[in-house]
Amino acid sequence: MQGKEFEEKNAQRWAAYEQTLDALEKRAQGVDVSGLPSMFREICTDLALARHRMYGMPMNERLNTLVIRGHKIIHRRAGGTWEKLLRFMAVDFPVAVRAEWRLLLVATLTFVLPMLGVALAGFYWPDFSWVEVVLGPEMMGSLDNMYGSSDRQIANLRAEYGSNFMMFCHYIMNNIGIDFRIYAGGILACLGSLFFLFYNGIYFGAVIAYIHVACSTEAFYTFVAGHSSFELIAMVIAGMAGLRIGLGLLNPGRKTLRRSLMDAGRRSLPLIFGAALMTFVAAGIEGFWSAQDLPPMVKYATGITLWVLVIFYLAFAGRRAGGRSRAA
Amino acid sequence: MVVHPTMPKNNGRQEPRLDTLQSIELAEGVEIHLRMAGPYVRVLAYLLDLLIRGGVSIGVGLLLLLAGTILGFNVAMGLNMLLSFFLMFFYYVFFEAGKRGASPGKRMMGLRVVDTSGAPISFGQSFVRNMLRFADGMPIPFYGFGLLSTLMTRRFQRLGDLLANTVVVYDRLPNLHMAALPPVLESRAPGVPLTREEQAALAGFRERGGMWSEARRIELADHASDLSGATGVTGMTRLLGMAHWLGEKH
Repeated sequence: MQGKEFEEKNAQRWAAYEQTLDALEKRAQGVDVSGLPSMFREICTDLALARHRMYGMPMNERLNTLVIRGHKIIHRRAGGTWEKLLRFMAVDFPVAVRAEWRLLLVATLTFVLPMLGVALAGFYWPDFSWVEVVLGPEMMGSLDNMYGSSDRQIANLRAEYGSNFMMFCHYIMNNIGIDFRIYAGGILACLGSLFFLFYNGIYFGAVIAYIHVACSTEAFYTFVAGHSSFELIAMVIAGMAGLRIGLGLLNPGRKTLRRSLMDAGRRSLPLIFGAALMTFVAAGIEGFWSAQDLPPMVKYATGITLWVLVIFYLAFAGRRAGGRSRAA
Repeated sequence: MVVHPTMPKNNGRQEPRLDTLQSIELAEGVEIHLRMAGPYVRVLAYLLDLLIRGGVSIGVGLLLLLAGTILGFNVAMGLNMLLSFFLMFFYYVFFEAGKRGASPGKRMMGLRVVDTSGAPISFGQSFVRNMLRFADGMPIPFYGFGLLSTLMTRRFQRLGDLLANTVVVYDRLPNLHMAALPPVLESRAPGVPLTREEQAALAGFRERGGMWSEARRIELADHASDLSGATGVTGMTRLLGMAHWLGEKH
C-alpha cells in the first residue's frame, strides 16, 4: 500500500497548505503567505509523483484540485482599475482607433454613403412612398411629434419631472445595446456589423430627408447637434470592432484559426470599450443637454466644438505616449 | 517503436484522447487536468441564469414601481431600464470576471470559466465571451452557432470562448463514486506496451468496476477487445488481470 504511505507521510503538509488556501479564498486578513510559493511547488511535485506512480484516481484528483486552487491564488491579477481606465481614455483607445484606420475607413463609408445617398435622393425626388417604407408610419408620427414645428416641442416633452433622467437611461439601454449588437454581429464573417451600419445609414438618411421636407430643420438640428459627434462616431467604432473579429475568422493569414480568433478578440477590446464609453457620454448629452431650451446659436456652437474636439482627440491623443510604449 | 508521449507528433496536433480531460502544463513543471464542461450541463446553467435574471427583473421592477410613488414615475422607469440593460449585457460579465469566475447558474451547476491556461479570466475576456452571446445565440432561441461551435471544438468552446480564449470547466471535485473490484486471481501481462494514458484507463476500470453491473462491465471491456483478444466475460477477466499486473509492478 504505497499510496497510503505516501498520503500519510504528507498529510500534515497538505492540510497546512489547504488551510492557507481556505483562508486566502475567503479573503481573510493577516494570513502568512511567505510559505505559500514553496508549499505550492511541493504540492506540484507531489501531484507529478502521485500521477507517475499511479496512486489511483482519488488521490490524483485531490492533488489536482489543490494545485489548481493554488495556481488561481498565486496568479491572481493585480488591481489598479482607475489608473488603467485613465490611461485607456488618454492613450490606448485613440491609439487603437488609429492603428485600425483601414477598418475606420470601411466602417465610416458603409454608414455614410447610404445615409448621404438616401438623404440626397429625398431632397431631389420628394416622393414619400419609399421614405415611408423605410421609416414606417409610426416613426414618421413620432418625428412629427418631436420636430414638427420650431416652437420648443422637445423641451415641452421633457418638462415633466424626471423625464430627462428617464431618456438618459433609455439612450443608454438602446444605443449602447446597438453598439454591442453591431460588435457581436462581426463574428458572422463581418456581415452582421456591415448590415447594421448600412441599415442605420439608410434609416438616418430617410429621417433627414423626411425632416427636410415635412418638419422643422431647426428643431431637429439644434437637438442632435450636441450628441451627434459622440453617438455616430461611437457607432462607427463599434462597427470597426465587429469587423476586426470578423476578419480574424476570414483572414487568419499564417496563424492557426484558433490563434487568429484569439488575437482578433484581444485587438477588438479597446475599440468596443471606447465605443461604449463614448455612447455613454452621448446618452448623457442627449438626456440632459440636447433638449434644453437654449438659443439655436449656442446649440450649434456646442455641437461644432464637440465634433472638432472628438476628431482631434481621436487623431492626436496619446501619440507620444503610444509611441513610447511601442518603443519600450 | 515506442513513441514518448510528450514527443510532438503530427505537426504539434494532439492525438485523439481517451477522455475529455485537458492537461495544461504550469510554469512549475507539473500538469493539471481540467474537466471540460459539455453543452448539456451548460444549457442547464443557462436556464438557471435565465430564471434568476427573470426573477430579479420582476422583483426589482415591482419594488421600483412602489419607489416610483416617492421618486417620481419617470425616474423609476429610467432605473428600470438601467436594470434591464445591466441584466441583459453585464450580468454575466461581472459575475464571470469576479472572484468566483462563474455566474450564479454556473456556480449552482459547479462550473467555472477559466483561461485556457487554467488561470482566472480578466474583465476583458469576460466581456468578449459574453458580448458574443448575441452571435452564439443565433438563430434565436436555439443557440445554434454556439452549439455548433461547441460540438466542433475539442474543448467545447463556443464562438465567444474562442475569441476570449476561455473554457468552461467543472470547478468542484467530481463526486467520485468508486468501488473497486476485488483483485482477480490471474495476473496477466498485456501483449503490447501501453502508454501511460492507457495504463491509467485500465487502472480506472478496475477502480470503478464495482459500481457497474456485470453486463455494463462487459460492454465497456468489449471496447478493448483488441487488447484482450477476447470479448465477453473472458475479455473482461483478462483486462482486470492486466490491471492487476500493472498495479503489482509499481
